[in-house]
Amino acid sequence: MRHKQGGRSAWQTRRMNKLAQSTPSTSLRDNPFLTAVWAIVWKDLQIEKHTRQTVSVMVMFSLVTVVMFNFALETELDAARNVATGLLWATILLAGTLGLNRSLAIERENQNIDAILIAPIDRRAIYLAKVISVTIFTLLLELVLVFVFIIFFDKPFWRPIVLLVLFLGTVGYVAAGVLITSMTMQTRSKEVLLPILLLPLVLPLILPAATAVGESMVVAPEASIIRSMVSLVAAYDLAILASGLFTYHLVVES
Amino acid sequence: MSLVKLNRWIPILNIVAAVTLVVSLGMNFFYAPTERTMGNVQRIFYFHVGSAWVGAVAFFVALVGGALYLRNKQRIWDTIALSSVEIGLVFLTIATAAGSVWGKPAWNTWWDWSPRLTLITVAWLTYAAYFMLRGAIEEEDKRARFAAVYVIVAFVTIIMTYISIRIFRDIHPVVFGGTLETAEGASEGLQDFAPGLESMKMGITLTVNTVSFTILYIAWMFNRIRLQYLMDSVDSLKMRVATRLQGGKA
Repeated sequence: MRHKQGGRSAWQTRRMNKLAQSTPSTSLRDNPFLTAVWAIVWKDLQIEKHTRQTVSVMVMFSLVTVVMFNFALETELDAARNVATGLLWATILLAGTLGLNRSLAIERENQNIDAILIAPIDRRAIYLAKVISVTIFTLLLELVLVFVFIIFFDKPFWRPIVLLVLFLGTVGYVAAGVLITSMTMQTRSKEVLLPILLLPLVLPLILPAATAVGESMVVAPEASIIRSMVSLVAAYDLAILASGLFTYHLVVES
Repeated sequence: MSLVKLNRWIPILNIVAAVTLVVSLGMNFFYAPTERTMGNVQRIFYFHVGSAWVGAVAFFVALVGGALYLRNKQRIWDTIALSSVEIGLVFLTIATAAGSVWGKPAWNTWWDWSPRLTLITVAWLTYAAYFMLRGAIEEEDKRARFAAVYVIVAFVTIIMTYISIRIFRDIHPVVFGGTLETAEGASEGLQDFAPGLESMKMGITLTVNTVSFTILYIAWMFNRIRLQYLMDSVDSLKMRVATRLQGGKA
């Protein structure tokens, strides 16, 4: 009897595999977790496509910030070039808080988040989806910023290692950001609280990331420094993503 | 732990903490030998390391308190986490201030934006923000829950800080744990721990200081938890008075 049941289930899986192969949808699509993640990311991208509010606000804000910082540097090009790396990260962090606030405020409008919470999906899928969509927005911003910085500061921001560090740094920043923003959205002071909580939390990530970017743009980069800095950034990413995945459900339940 | 029990233990703990603190202060000045290169300035080191150690312990206790609160939702764990962050912040401030006083003769500057000093400032800001978060939430349950999540995430960044200050090239001496070769600049300004009786005396003084600061931390924790109990009972009394005045039954 047992043997027979086992045989049947094996037959069933074989049949399902066959079905999966025959249709264009892969087995990944059948995973309810990934389907939920993809649905929310798709929704965010659609909203952004129609409203174009998040990325454009972030880009405009960062351009203003860059120009503003140039006041502080007294428009001396040499001084500006030396701090270009730090300036890039500072701009991304500040513009990032806008993007995070905007992207999670959309969920609060019209009780959107309640609808998502009622749906029978894993809370971790919601977290992961928000991280992915805000990361995409921030990467779009960085695309513009890298271009602007190359022109303004004449530094090789296009190097692959710089782009890799930018990507890794953004993932860690947004992973912490989504968790913290989900909390601050539910407090009295709302948007005001986010930078106070988030920026100190991500500075241990930004310090090695900025060091790595700076080191990779000098004339003779030291590989060992870059390697240890990149691994620090990656370790932070993993640690913060794990704690986000574990605690996100505590932050959204009412 | 009940309030009665706390009331019995706190006076004893307070006295023990005060006595050990006086003993370690005496040891700093009269028992520990004068350091060869830095002279008497080095005596700050014992307080600096002692308070930095307690700061780390306090934030770890806060992490445990937060995690246990999320597990069984008992108010006492939230109180422990809150008290520990408060006290840890005080010790972190002591450590930073003492370090700054030492830095003036050692590095010829009160402050240096080296990675370690920067990251410790960031840690201070992280835990100071904890109170901003608590202050912005009205509902008690939600406040405790969010604070617990925040304290866990904050500790993750503390671990990252701990790792990175062992990788970055830094002016600050490293006493506990080794460093990578790239961070070898650390040995500049490090006090002379040559083998022998003198350095053993230094080691003993450091241990006594660390222990007495830990006892002080425990005493403060108990006092702070008792304070929370009293605040809570005052709140409930106020509520009763308010209901009575409104004509309801208390």
